Amino acid sequence: MSFQKFLRIFRLNLFIFLVTLIELGRSSVQIPRLRGVSFARAPLYDAEKDFTCFDGSKTIPFKQVNDDYCDCSDGSDEPGTSACPMGSFYCTNAGHKPQILPSHRVNDGVCDCCDGTDEYANENDKCINNCLEVGKAAREEAARLIEMYKVGKQLRAQLSQEGQQMRNQKEQKLNELIKNKEEAERIKAEKEDIKNKAVEAENKALEYYRELEEQYKRKKAEQEIEKLREEAVENFKKLDINQDGLLDYIEIQSRQAFDRDRNGEVSEEEAKLFLGNQDSVDLNTFVETTWKLLKPFVIQEATRLYNKPPQDGNQEENEPEVQQDLEQEQAQQPPEDEEEDDEEEEEDENEGREQQEEEQEHIPYDEETQKLVDLANEARNEYSQSENSLRDINDQIRQIEESLKKDFGSDEEFASLEGQCFEFTDHEYVYRFCPFDKTVQIPKSSSMETSLGRWSKWDGPANNIYGSMMYDQGQNCWNGPNRSTKVKINCGSENKLLSVSEPNRCEYAFEFETPAACKGFGDQQGEKEVHDEL
Amino acid sequence: MLRKLSSIVFWVFAILTVAEGVDRSLFKTCDQSSFCRRLRKYEQNQSPYLLDLPHLEVNYQNIEVPLLNSDFPNVTLRLTLTAIVGNIFRVTINEVNGLHPRFVPQYALNGEPQVAKLEVLDKSAESLTVKSGDNKVILTAKPLKLEFFHRESLVSAVNENGLFAFEHYRTKPAESETDLQIKDDPGAWEENFKSHHDSKSRGPSAISTDFTFPGAQRVYGLPEHGDRLALRTTTKGGQDPYRLYNLDVFEYELDTTTALYGAIPVIYALGPKHTAGIFWHNAAETWVDITNSKDANVVSSLVNLVSGSKGEPHVDVRFMSESGVLDFFFLIGPTLKDAVKQYTSLTGVHALPQLFTLGYHQSRWNYNDQEDVQTVVARFDEHNLPLDNMWLDIEYTEGKKYFTWDQKKFPTPENMIQNLTSTGRKLVVIIDPHIKRESGYFLHEDALKYDLYVKNKDGTVYEGWCWPGASSYLDFYNPATRDYYKKLYGFDTFKGTTHDVWIWNDMNEPSVFNGPEATMPRDCLHYGGWEHREVHNEYALTHTMVTHEGLLLRSPHRRPFILTRGHFAGSQRYSAVWTGDNDAKWSHLAASIPMCLSEALGAMSFCGADVGGFFHNPEVELLQRWFQAAIWLPFFRQHAHIDTRRRESYLYTEEEINRIRMALRLRYAHLPLWYTLFWEQETGGEPVIRPLVYHYPADENVLDIDNELLVGHSVLARPIVEPGESSVEIYLPGDKKAKWYDLEDFKLYRAGSHRLPVNLDRHLVFYRGGTIVPRKDRPRRSSQAMRHDPFTLYVALDDLNSASGALYVDDYESFDYKDKKYLYLHFNFEKNVLSSKLIDKTDYATQEWIERIVILGPPPGITGAKLVSKSVGTVTLETFYDAEGWSLTIRKPGVTIREPFKVTLI
Repeated sequence: MSFQKFLRIFRLNLFIFLVTLIELGRSSVQIPRLRGVSFARAPLYDAEKDFTCFDGSKTIPFKQVNDDYCDCSDGSDEPGTSACPMGSFYCTNAGHKPQILPSHRVNDGVCDCCDGTDEYANENDKCINNCLEVGKAAREEAARLIEMYKVGKQLRAQLSQEGQQMRNQKEQKLNELIKNKEEAERIKAEKEDIKNKAVEAENKALEYYRELEEQYKRKKAEQEIEKLREEAVENFKKLDINQDGLLDYIEIQSRQAFDRDRNGEVSEEEAKLFLGNQDSVDLNTFVETTWKLLKPFVIQEATRLYNKPPQDGNQEENEPEVQQDLEQEQAQQPPEDEEEDDEEEEEDENEGREQQEEEQEHIPYDEETQKLVDLANEARNEYSQSENSLRDINDQIRQIEESLKKDFGSDEEFASLEGQCFEFTDHEYVYRFCPFDKTVQIPKSSSMETSLGRWSKWDGPANNIYGSMMYDQGQNCWNGPNRSTKVKINCGSENKLLSVSEPNRCEYAFEFETPAACKGFGDQQGEKEVHDEL
Repeated sequence: MLRKLSSIVFWVFAILTVAEGVDRSLFKTCDQSSFCRRLRKYEQNQSPYLLDLPHLEVNYQNIEVPLLNSDFPNVTLRLTLTAIVGNIFRVTINEVNGLHPRFVPQYALNGEPQVAKLEVLDKSAESLTVKSGDNKVILTAKPLKLEFFHRESLVSAVNENGLFAFEHYRTKPAESETDLQIKDDPGAWEENFKSHHDSKSRGPSAISTDFTFPGAQRVYGLPEHGDRLALRTTTKGGQDPYRLYNLDVFEYELDTTTALYGAIPVIYALGPKHTAGIFWHNAAETWVDITNSKDANVVSSLVNLVSGSKGEPHVDVRFMSESGVLDFFFLIGPTLKDAVKQYTSLTGVHALPQLFTLGYHQSRWNYNDQEDVQTVVARFDEHNLPLDNMWLDIEYTEGKKYFTWDQKKFPTPENMIQNLTSTGRKLVVIIDPHIKRESGYFLHEDALKYDLYVKNKDGTVYEGWCWPGASSYLDFYNPATRDYYKKLYGFDTFKGTTHDVWIWNDMNEPSVFNGPEATMPRDCLHYGGWEHREVHNEYALTHTMVTHEGLLLRSPHRRPFILTRGHFAGSQRYSAVWTGDNDAKWSHLAASIPMCLSEALGAMSFCGADVGGFFHNPEVELLQRWFQAAIWLPFFRQHAHIDTRRRESYLYTEEEINRIRMALRLRYAHLPLWYTLFWEQETGGEPVIRPLVYHYPADENVLDIDNELLVGHSVLARPIVEPGESSVEIYLPGDKKAKWYDLEDFKLYRAGSHRLPVNLDRHLVFYRGGTIVPRKDRPRRSSQAMRHDPFTLYVALDDLNSASGALYVDDYESFDYKDKKYLYLHFNFEKNVLSSKLIDKTDYATQEWIERIVILGPPPGITGAKLVSKSVGTVTLETFYDAEGWSLTIRKPGVTIREPFKVTLI
């Protein structure tokens, strides 16, 4: 079968030599090229010889190359058709840059190459050649990128310099602080010594007074017990209506105050409960046990009597006055002199206060002792001041050390971003990105911040570790994880938060542009890209 | 992330159940359902029903007999028996002059069934014998009994156990009166469940009957349940009957008889000699009790069977419905294949879908915005992962108002769609039947104005909660609603859509977050005065039916594609289904196969499950296995809950991506087979996927196999549904001579059990010896990109070294095939000659050609082949054996499929 017949029979546009004219400098060169083969590989397809698959697996007659049937497992016999799953198709894209497609993009109805050479089989799927247009746009884009990188790189160098300076300053400051710290520690030790001595002297001088105070307290306590006893006796007398030296339950019943269950009457049972289920108690028992049970009720009664609703005006305003009056009264009259029930209650309330006063007041020291006490106080103050300034220094050191520990890039180029914040606003929220610190979300309608993460680490891929940042441990999502943010860092001529999205629930993705990321491009890649343009 | 209030309400509800999956207490058990409870209490063999045979009417098309209830002498029912073409009988029992009309599903049937001739053979006061073709029915008067015979052998008996019941409408008896039928069931006249009250103003109206199938070993059918393929005995051990009541079940469980989203009341009883089926034509809540004699200690009294001796296997099936006409179709069989076809002849088929619908669908709740959609597609292309369709869940709308777009996230949907179609992709968007009650929303305002909503029992518009918050529900029984709704799909109302946008109808059980059992109250009212209880299971069908009409109206030259969750008998005519909100668990992967096989027996072949599982995050092994399994189900979509991590295939390691890519490519390679099967399904009524028992009913080993499936009758897939498997058991059916070829290396296996090694790359797929599988083996980015690609024919030889198969080809999208613009080829291989001929006298101008022929189990010593066709003349072709000699490849026949050809091995 002749080659021509073969073509006619199968109606397939197989085995077509493409002749492409390419402007190379000033000379026109004609290169015959098999469909889908790059210039570099063209010599491997020699129509005069049988074709051996690149992987050596098979040798076939050359007419089976590009005949739309896959003979080679590596796909090398079908560079221009979609027959081989493993094959690839080369389009020159004159006016733009060449492209290598997987074979299955050939004749699939989608124009992948700008020169349209990947779609040749079906009339309806023909593509236009827009390489000039696309190439122009790509070149402009490339030029823009190159310009951006150029500018960006300069800025990056500055940033890097600033970063280095900042690091130096921090290191300097750190050294300074470390020195200051030594000094502060020395001062602290000194002051501690002074303080210890002064306190020792003070303690010695106060020993006498402490003994005195102890005695005073003991006496006070005894007086207190006696006072309570007197109070009990006095009340016994009041309650023992028939003065028979026994307080019986009927006498208890006669007093409404003892209506425990507040049902309006003091039942026999209620009354006897106070008396330890006895019919009556004598004075001693009363003093020892019964009074303790009765006293709260007596006081409560007094309170009720005392707190009769105010006649008019505002109770809240009146009350403090009353209180004041009472305190005055209290101060004027020794507790022993109290007669009225309603005042007894006040005494109880004021007990705490009195005791406090008691503790505060102490026996006045003699002049010498006072001097020692003053000296000790002063020494204590100075010591605590020295402690504070050491703590301040330590805090500063820790801050600087933390900052120095942060990775601001291979050349410190990201350092100046620390302490700054950048915002992006979408239709619902404002997003704030504070590099090396946090990411937050603020609804437009309120000022409630939601933490989307705190600075964690650089987490770009191994070949571009500074390509992205991770912020994690943000606010917990309801029924979900803690919020986190991945910030993609790209080169740009200025610092700018470009976009925010939430690809997974509570996992945010920010895109950030900064000159600090303008590295690499143009060194090799950029030049290559430009070089590839035809 | 902030959520809208509506979602919060739902999720607050949802979280309460999140730990344990489904909250069972939200859904009724039989005991909590008044009619199920009271019917189940019936004593066997005490039927008060009798036929009044002396008053038999023999009409032109049917016979009618009064049916009496001896407990209620004043009540008359009428039994109508009709013969339907194709070995089907229809039995309808309704009240004569009942208090209220009874409902018959309005859209399940694909038109009125064609009546066949019915002949009275014998009649007396005690019994009546009628005949239609090879089939016979004997009606016994007292007590009521119907026996169906095929060629003189008894297939089934109705009311054999005396459990027939028909609760005629009645006035409420006084407190002192005892109702002989209802007894004192407290839920008969009004019923409470949880905080919900069902007013039941028409009182009890349940219907029921039992069917006995002598000789039956298994019953299949009754989708949709999260259960095995073979139905279990429900009448022992406190099991509930299979429940058919369309419900939106949050995080559904498996291995239960509880209700799910769809209800297809068809059941098949399979025996070694005979298989028959019942299509229970009723849209109300239905429970089905099954008693299989193989399950020991079965309580049932039976075994006094008419023709059966004691101990003969049999199955009793009992349908119980809350209301409606008692109407069933008896599918005589005699094989499972026949019975399925009979059911399909009544309710219809899937119209041939567009080819792209059989490709891969990528969905997620939700793709955030139009850039997101475009990026996902770009990344699929970047990784050479084929993809046909992108999906948008509810978040694309403006505030869950359907037929609108969120202007911020999707400002220019036309551009997004243009971006999709430029690489041959389509878009599917969700449209639910609940309508946001928001003033200013045109759809809500129109629905109020034109009175298109479902009503409360008092006639006011019903309001429930769903995604948008307060919502009302369109009443598709109202012709005005249908007329209005179908027009909404037009480009002037659904702005931003194009001919390449298709529809996902979800939440149409209907789902009502705050309703009883998360659905609509049964005493709501539909057009025509029907209570919701009557129509419930049919509601989703009405929704998709109108959507289908709308899409035809919008794009008259494209075959509509609709995915639905709620479904009913007949839904296959309008939509595909998926198994709803499944879980990222191995058990749910396993369940996807029997669930879809069961649907396929219910004529709903176009079925799939969310790849990876809707809820939760699948481990990567599960995800890969899920892809390997899902390529063998007709509907192939990945979908995921909003709280899950992204799981688009390109997000994994290169090795994992490659595994998924291989699965996807295998799917796409088989698209010609799928497409051909869908065509054959439309024309012949056979399911696209089939359980083994469908083709091998006589093989007892396959009765319970539901971890394997057949695609057509040529491919057997046995997906791996357990983690960490290094080898699995597979059963290859057939007789001793049967041959099966492993798709991996074309190694030949004989029928029987085999334990085969597997690894993550390998799942088990076999071609049956004797079949020819048409494929397109060039990997492409979409089905659209494959349309001109050449075919490879895989010729799997049987014991006699022969094989046959078919291929259907058309324009893959329009209705032109109805005008004979298609090619339906029959391939035959016999005596070393492969021949192709057109089955139908049609033509379609395609460029598709035969690239390669691969013969599995080839004869030895072949040195070449000779091709003969009209346009090519005679050509010699090269052939090669593979290293083991398990396959022989014929190189490049290069002949168009439009003309007959012959290839002879030499």
